[in-house]
Amino acid sequence: MDFPDFSLDISLLEKAKEPEPEVTYDLLILGGGPAAMSAAVYAARKMMNFAIITKDFGGQVRETSEVENWLGFQSINAKDLVDMFEEHVKGFDIAVSLGPAIAEVRKDEETFKVHTDDGKTYSSHTVIVATGKRHRPLNVPGEKDLVGRGIAYCATCDAPFFKGKKVVIAGGGNSAFTTAIDLLKVDAKVTLINFIKGWQADEALQERVKQSDKAILLDYHQLVRIEGKDTVTAVVLKNRENEKEENLDTNGLFVEIGLLPNNESVKNLVKLNEQGEVIVDCSCRTSVEGLFGAGDVTTVPHKQIVIAASEGAKAALSAYDYLINKSLI
Amino acid sequence: MGMLKEKDREKLITLFKGIKEDVKIAMFTQEMECLHCEMTRMMIEEVSGLSDKLSLEVHDFVAEADLAKKYGVDKIPAIVLSGDRDYGIRFYGVPAGYEFNVLIEDIMDVGKRDSGLGKAVMAELAKVDQPVHMQVLISPT
Repeated sequence: MDFPDFSLDISLLEKAKEPEPEVTYDLLILGGGPAAMSAAVYAARKMMNFAIITKDFGGQVRETSEVENWLGFQSINAKDLVDMFEEHVKGFDIAVSLGPAIAEVRKDEETFKVHTDDGKTYSSHTVIVATGKRHRPLNVPGEKDLVGRGIAYCATCDAPFFKGKKVVIAGGGNSAFTTAIDLLKVDAKVTLINFIKGWQADEALQERVKQSDKAILLDYHQLVRIEGKDTVTAVVLKNRENEKEENLDTNGLFVEIGLLPNNESVKNLVKLNEQGEVIVDCSCRTSVEGLFGAGDVTTVPHKQIVIAASEGAKAALSAYDYLINKSLI
Repeated sequence: MGMLKEKDREKLITLFKGIKEDVKIAMFTQEMECLHCEMTRMMIEEVSGLSDKLSLEVHDFVAEADLAKKYGVDKIPAIVLSGDRDYGIRFYGVPAGYEFNVLIEDIMDVGKRDSGLGKAVMAELAKVDQPVHMQVLISPT
């Protein structure tokens, strides 16, 4: 019997190939942001035998809305941009470990061993660390329990959930004020809390927030704890001038107090600066021979997409030169 | 003529070579088959014939009501996937279109005795201390 409207689709089974633990790759690229993806494109064009190990593709760019400084586009949706990056990368036949986190990178004589949290170990002659940065947590009571339940770290992702609500923003820099602007756009009432006196954000951003009658700015205040059972209901603030604590009712809290480098997998292997960034030279070399760094996780200043992509390209070419010089390729 | 396209059949034969352990498939239909029961039976008969590691038993939901009850099957067409033990995997309705991918992935997971979940997720799931009944409902659009 025929079933004319019946179809059996197996297209989703055709996944990217996974790295093989028994292979010693020329290069392993750690991370999935612009630096890692750019490194992958350059490594592919050099015909290197390599693999990417990442939890996901896109990095911090996925947390942005519009990108207005990527050459060739007056303005482009951030998700569209990283989708194009990803499509470009996947156009090459590259092995990708997608999902498991990188637990540790070790170097045994001349070979790197990259351990992932699913218990697998991959080997290579060179490694590019392009693991990026993540939002710095407040580390106050209540934060861990209420993440995703009123506590957010990405206004682009979560601001619409707070339409018309009361929201506290922790931080005083550009990201805190940009978050405030995003929240004011959805008619939220915002209170900015800064630990130090004054505000670090650009004057133009400060002005946009200060002119709103729905914004309150409290500098020299410490956020002591977050309260709420199923969702955030209040935060407790301490006025650092007079040490008095006060309870502030709120529906949400955005934490915008900077970024931390994702250095955990290499921190026991490579030299870091005081901020925990991987120290690299102008050729993306690190303190460990054969280990290269690229993008926001490194000491290279100005954390920008175009800079991360450029550094990724440099790191791949440097890794290639290293392999040539060592007669490993 | 089978329900699978020839190139998809070849891909599945290759894919099923990755199955390490036996996968038991039980399909529930009835003597007077509805259209979707017939579709599902023909499809699963064809799929189960693509690997020696796959075995199929077709049961009558009415005549074998006790067995259906044992499996917790309360509607047809139903597909039960099990290996060394019953993992609780049930497909109701005809897993056609994109859902066919899910059926194949589940067959592979049972055949590898590996859910593909990472250690951290497994550790979290190990904390579940009471039975949980999960149902995934999908629409044909």
